[in-house]
Amino acid sequence: MSRQPSPSASAARQIEAPLRGQLARASALSVAAGLVWPLQAAAVAWAIAGWVAGDLTRTLLAAAIFLAGTMLRAVLDHIAGGILFRAGDRALADARARLIDREFAAPGPARSAAMAALVAEKLPLLLPWITRYRPAMARARVIPLVYIAIAAVIAWPAALVLAVAGPLIPVFMALIGMAAESASRRHLAEIGSLNALLMERLGALIDLRLLGAGDRARADFDARAEGLRARTMAVLRIAFLSSTVLELFAAIGVALMAVYVGFTLLGVLNFGTWGRGMGVAEGVLLLLLAPDFFQPLRDLAAAWHDRAAGLAVAAELTEAEDAPRQPMLGQGAPATPLPGRLRLRLRDAVAALPGGARLFLPDLDLDAGQSLAISGASGAGKSTLLGVVAGLVPLDVGRVEVAGQNLDAGNADAWRARLAVMPQGMHLPDLALGDWLGAGDPTAALRLAGAEGIVARLPDALRSRLGETGGGVSGGEARRLLLARAIHAGRELLIADEPTADLDRETAAHVIASLRALQAQGRTLLVASHDPALLAAMDREVRL
Amino acid sequence: MKDLRLILNRVLRAAPWLMAGGAALALLVLIFGISLLGVSGWFITATGIAGLAGAGIAFDVFRPSASIRFFALGRTAARYGERVLTHEAVLHALARLRGDLLAGLSARPAREVEAMRSEAALTRITADVDALDGLVLRLLLPICAGLAAHMLAGLALWGIVGAPMALAVAAGYVPGAALALIRLGRLAPANAIRAEAATQSLRRDMIAGLRDRAALIVAGLLPARRAALLAQDRAARSAAASLDRAERDARAVLSLLPGLAAALALLTGGWMIGQGAVGPAPAAIGFFVALGLGETLLALPRGLAELGRMRDAASRVAPLLRDAAPHVPATPLKRAQTGPVLQAEKPELLLKAGDRVALTGPSGSGKTTFLWQAAGLLPPDAPILLWGTPVQQWPETDLRTRLTLVPQRAALVAGTVAENLALSGCLDRAEMERALDAVGLTEVFQARQSLETRLAEGGTGLSGGQARRLAIARAILRRPDLLLLDEPTEGLDDASAARMLSGLHRALPDAAILCAMHRHADDPVFGRIVAFNMRDW
Repeated sequence: MSRQPSPSASAARQIEAPLRGQLARASALSVAAGLVWPLQAAAVAWAIAGWVAGDLTRTLLAAAIFLAGTMLRAVLDHIAGGILFRAGDRALADARARLIDREFAAPGPARSAAMAALVAEKLPLLLPWITRYRPAMARARVIPLVYIAIAAVIAWPAALVLAVAGPLIPVFMALIGMAAESASRRHLAEIGSLNALLMERLGALIDLRLLGAGDRARADFDARAEGLRARTMAVLRIAFLSSTVLELFAAIGVALMAVYVGFTLLGVLNFGTWGRGMGVAEGVLLLLLAPDFFQPLRDLAAAWHDRAAGLAVAAELTEAEDAPRQPMLGQGAPATPLPGRLRLRLRDAVAALPGGARLFLPDLDLDAGQSLAISGASGAGKSTLLGVVAGLVPLDVGRVEVAGQNLDAGNADAWRARLAVMPQGMHLPDLALGDWLGAGDPTAALRLAGAEGIVARLPDALRSRLGETGGGVSGGEARRLLLARAIHAGRELLIADEPTADLDRETAAHVIASLRALQAQGRTLLVASHDPALLAAMDREVRL
Repeated sequence: MKDLRLILNRVLRAAPWLMAGGAALALLVLIFGISLLGVSGWFITATGIAGLAGAGIAFDVFRPSASIRFFALGRTAARYGERVLTHEAVLHALARLRGDLLAGLSARPAREVEAMRSEAALTRITADVDALDGLVLRLLLPICAGLAAHMLAGLALWGIVGAPMALAVAAGYVPGAALALIRLGRLAPANAIRAEAATQSLRRDMIAGLRDRAALIVAGLLPARRAALLAQDRAARSAAASLDRAERDARAVLSLLPGLAAALALLTGGWMIGQGAVGPAPAAIGFFVALGLGETLLALPRGLAELGRMRDAASRVAPLLRDAAPHVPATPLKRAQTGPVLQAEKPELLLKAGDRVALTGPSGSGKTTFLWQAAGLLPPDAPILLWGTPVQQWPETDLRTRLTLVPQRAALVAGTVAENLALSGCLDRAEMERALDAVGLTEVFQARQSLETRLAEGGTGLSGGQARRLAIARAILRRPDLLLLDEPTEGLDDASAARMLSGLHRALPDAAILCAMHRHADDPVFGRIVAFNMRDW
């Protein structure tokens, strides 16, 4: 019940706002289901009182009422559950779509694997929070008060037994909340780091074996895992203790109620019943109300874990949304190629990097059919410059002129329709090679890139799936496939980022020859590299 | 199911006493809760009768009210103990399961282990292990404790109230629970597996898309990729919705059962009183116990909804836990190992102590495969003798003390530089400093915190060349007689490469060193260059 606006709470409000109507309806249904119980309890109390009085005729009707009440509750809960699931599902769909859009349009600092884990696996943790916490909260606010009122009408000490717990409820809930939230956060983080530990060790298995470190690594893993377990348990013990307090109150509440009612019925205690005395019916009713009085609070305590996990995800979502991002020009959508002769001019350009950083770029001139190399130490900004030319990095100051126009958001897609890029990373996705290369017959492009032999060697040729790390092809082969894809795109300007990095001399020579052949065909080349052989093969070189 | 049993077996054996204690307490919680309601119901009805009869003073209030207090406090204590013990046991089991997985995998053929290194495979396996976490807490324990509680309650009702009451309560619970749970057990697995598969492909394609983002944008494929990702999101959510529907249906049916059983108990109670078989107070016990037994069903739908996912995960994890046949004989070598350090036919190669040989050839020519074969990670195509003994006859431990391979993608772990170096088994800091100096990393780490410089997960925080040199320093600390290096100078500029090679030369003067490399093979350190092209043969 923390009311102070925390980052995660405001993130939560943002997620809940569009769902308010659904949450309210589901909460109302859930409360209504909770209010059926006193009627069922009254029917049973009436029947048992009948037994005591020797009247067995009430039993059938009472059993029927009790069963009907149970059914009504089940139906109401089922409907409420459906509404809540749909609400949570919508929140998940919205959050995913938003994050996917944003991350592709303007990438943030998060690693792609971390972002993918957030989108695919963590966002669904919002669902239990949305589906359980709100209705539990609504029930906890209404039902205990109604029960106290019913008990008060019968006997004020009975109401007192329930109400003693009443003022303590928020106190214990806050206690449980704080402990459970921190425990849940810790617990999630610990499980996360146990997994991170496992993943890292799995990744290093070959090395550990080569170092003869298998047993040492196992011992080290066990020791670290044991440390994680001990820390997790220390937190869990506290969390369990605070919810045990609630359990204790519930159990004592039932016990006190039973004893008070029993003694009153015996006539040992005779106060509090407003002078009417107490019958078996009233006694049984009070006893049946007691356990259910605490049930909404138990539900709330259970939902608090879901809330904590949900809020943690909401906070991570907000953090991802607020992170400094690198926006791009245009949409990355298909477009009619920008008309005009291919010409690239860079003048007084300063690239705008995420978080307000800037990078000064040299003036550049590149005309159709020419080749230009950008050289410089790693970290000098070669990739940023290529990004500026492709409209992936916006300018802070200065201008990029493409085909006689200033490159801006309006013509970026059309400009890019004349480009192909060969990225530096050698990631081949888990796709059929033919689909990845693009539509049309890639034979010519494969031949030009010297990649025909690679494809021929693969078990299913163009239908082979290469996987995330390019399973089945070496680094040099992956590079040639990337070149083949860029050539196959059939665009006029090829932008290649370090096309010969990490290649042996023969393969690098082959790639350079392919690039020169491309230029001979009339294509324009812009490459970033520090490979002297490649730099020498280009018409001009600009050093950063 | 066989796979699930194997996992269950491992989980239960990790901390059997904690688990048994937790299970016993879980049952006690249920028994105490049911008893609390049953005794309270009886007490109120009985006191009502006594009060009406004016026999209030004679009524023994002490024992019932004491047992009510006992059950109330006992339930709370048992609940706390149950939660602590079961979580403790499960956390033990989780760590154990992951450790076993690590050990099981490391004994498998190197190719298989190498395939596990992809991010997709790693995420897959951790997601699978996570899915198995709920096996005991959410499935096995609630089912066993619930069944035991039902049986004990049935026996108690039989004894205290009579057979008809026990049968009525059972009739209220058993058919409905069986029906609902079997139906959920049928519907849930397919949907759970479908949801998981869609989630995994969403994750995988999201990673692939983000990594290939620049090319996607330039190709104008961003909207298409976005649509594909959203379609995967829809598939995952629709499977989750079916799963939720099945779970909610089961939950609705299960929530009817306590009502049905209690109503039946009420009718039976009335009938038994009419028959004169029992008094109103014992008859009331039936109703209250029937109501209390409802608690046994609460946890089941969630656990069953996850059953499919668990089975799916177990089918992938269990094979990795089963013992793989060791590919290297464990028997010690009988013959003295005296021959040349390394002798191979393809390529024709003879290495003696102190030799430095560069193995060149274009990428894809089989250099890496040869090194892996020489290091005993892969079965050799042609005879490879190490000190006169075929590599496949070397016992693993002996081989590792005499030979070290630094693979192309050498792995570092999160922790300090010293911790990474200590994986070699050498804990001497002075020696570590010397090894760092030999590969030319001293200045790099001096600018930070020397040996205490912290590396993030997987050694992040170092450039490719720095990570490679750190791995080579680690190999130097093994003091091998034969050092195999796969592309040791990749990612290094010429000056750093030359410095590293000469440092290596001085650090291991007596060792034979074989480097597969395509650059810097002309370094003066190398006495010989062997050109290599396996594909030509």
